[in-house]
Amino acid sequence: MKQANLEIRRSSASLIGESTSQRRKAVVAKFIDTTTCIGCKACEVACQEWNDLPTLDTARFGTYQTMPTLHAEYWNLIKFAEVEGAAGLTWLMRKDNCMHCDEPGCLEACPAPGAIVQYENGIVDVNPEACIGCGYCETGCPFDVPRFSERTSKMSKCTLCVDRVTVGVEPACVKACPTGCLHFGNKDDMLALGARRIEQLHENGHTEAAMYDPPGVGGTSVVTVLMHGDHPEWYGLPKDPHVPHAVIAWKKLLRPLGTVAIFAAVAGAFAHYLRYGRKQAPEESDQRRNEP
Amino acid sequence: MSTRPVTITDQAVTGADPAVQVASRVEDVVVGDEIVRYRYSTRVTHWSVAFFFIVCLLTGMPIWTPVFGWMAHLFGGLHVCRWLHPWAGLAFFASSLVMIAQWWRKMILEKSERSWVGPRLFQYMRYEDHDQNVGKFNGGQKLFFWAAAVGALGLLVSGVVLWFPPQFQQWVRETAILLHDVTFIGFAVAIVFHIYLGTAAEPGTFRAMTRGTVTKPWARLHHPRWYREVTRDNSRPR
Repeated sequence: MKQANLEIRRSSASLIGESTSQRRKAVVAKFIDTTTCIGCKACEVACQEWNDLPTLDTARFGTYQTMPTLHAEYWNLIKFAEVEGAAGLTWLMRKDNCMHCDEPGCLEACPAPGAIVQYENGIVDVNPEACIGCGYCETGCPFDVPRFSERTSKMSKCTLCVDRVTVGVEPACVKACPTGCLHFGNKDDMLALGARRIEQLHENGHTEAAMYDPPGVGGTSVVTVLMHGDHPEWYGLPKDPHVPHAVIAWKKLLRPLGTVAIFAAVAGAFAHYLRYGRKQAPEESDQRRNEP
Repeated sequence: MSTRPVTITDQAVTGADPAVQVASRVEDVVVGDEIVRYRYSTRVTHWSVAFFFIVCLLTGMPIWTPVFGWMAHLFGGLHVCRWLHPWAGLAFFASSLVMIAQWWRKMILEKSERSWVGPRLFQYMRYEDHDQNVGKFNGGQKLFFWAAAVGALGLLVSGVVLWFPPQFQQWVRETAILLHDVTFIGFAVAIVFHIYLGTAAEPGTFRAMTRGTVTKPWARLHHPRWYREVTRDNSRPR
C-alpha cells in the first residue's frame, strides 16, 4: 500500500538508474506448506485486519472458498480444489497471493515510473501515488494477481506486509497461521526449511512432493511446498510461469526500435530536405520573388 | 456538395476574400488565379483528425516509454494522459470515419498507380516522377490514406482492449499490446513524412489545408490531370 522506506532494486518504467541500494539486503521469503494447511482462513482474516481492508461479501459457488478470485480489497485467498488423481479424489488447499517474483511481470509491464517497485529484499510493492490504473500489470503477471480497484482506480495487491517486515516482524498471515504451515525469513532459510519438509514427505511415500519456486520468473519470494509437485496446475499454479512474451517484445524490442524509428524518420525528412530541397514550380518561385 | 449557390460579395465593399468565400462550399473550381482544393467541410474534417491524432500522440507516447515522459506534463501528468488518451482515441477514430466517408471514392487506386507500392514512391521522393496523369491525389497519397484507415481501425480495436484489460482474455490483451505498438510506430513514422511533404518539402501545399486553395502552377506541377480537369486547359506544360 505504502512505499516503505526501503532501498529499491528495480522500479517500473525506468530506463537506467533504478537501484538506490548501497547495502546488500538479504532476500526474504514466505514459506507455504500446502500439506499442513487446514483451510481455516485465519490468514485471510489477519490480512484484512492488518491492512485495514473491508469485510467483503462472500460468494457461494460450491466450495469452501471465500470468493472465486482475489480482489482489489482481498489479497489473500485460500483456494480449494478437488482433483481426481491416480490415487482417487484429493482435496487441495493453496494460499493464493502475490508471489513477489524475482523478475516481476507486473513491474516489467508497468508504464508509470515508480508505480511498481521491487525492494532490495525482494518484496514487490505498489506505489499508488504513481499508479495510473492502466491495468497493464494484470497482463504482465503470470499468476493473475494484481487487481484494479474501482474505488481508487489504482492497482492493488499483497505487499508481503512490507510495513511489518520493515520493522522486523513477520507478515500478518504468517503470524496468524495456527498450524505452522506458514513461515517467514530469509529466502535461503525458507528453501532449507522446504527441503527438509520435502525430504520428510518423500520418506512418507509422497514422492511427487516438490518445492514451487519457478525459475521462469527468477524464483519467487513466496516458496510453496506442494504434495503433488508434478502437478502445480492442480493447485491453480502455472507449470512454467514467465513474463508474457508480448510484454518482453514490447519493452525490449518494439519500444527501443520504435523510438529509434521515430527519431530516424525526423532525421530522414531533414536529410531529404538537405539533399533534394523543395519541390516547386518555376512560376511559383518567380511569383515569390516578385512578392513585395 | 451543397446546392446552395455561393454568395460572392464585392471585396472592395465587404472586405471578404472571394476565393475563401467560394472555398467555403465548393472545391475543384477556379477562382481567379487560384484553384479551390479543399472546401471548408473537408478542411474541418482533416483538422479534427489531425488535432485528435496529436492529442493521442502526446498522451500516448509518455505511457509508451519514459523517453517521452515530458509530454505528460503538457496535460497535467500521466494520470490525465491515461484518462484522456482513450477518449481522444475515440474522437480520432470518429473523425477518421468522417474523413474516410468523404474521401474513399477519390482514393481508389488506379491500375497505373499500383507501382507506387514499390519504386515509384522513391522516384517521387527524389523528384524524378514526371507522370502527367496524376489526378487530385497521387498514388502515395492514396496509399497513405488507406494505410491510415487500416491503422485507425487497428488502433481502435487494440485500444478498446487496452482500455478495459480485465474484460479480455490474456492472449487478447497480449495481442492488443503488440498491435497497438506496431500500428502506432508505423503511423508515427508515416505522419512525419506526411507533415514534412505538406509543409517544408512542397511549398504551396499547406495553404490547401488553411485557405483551401492552391495556385495554378502548384496544381500543374503536383496534380497535372486534376489541373487539366479543373481548368479544362489541355496545353502541355512548358
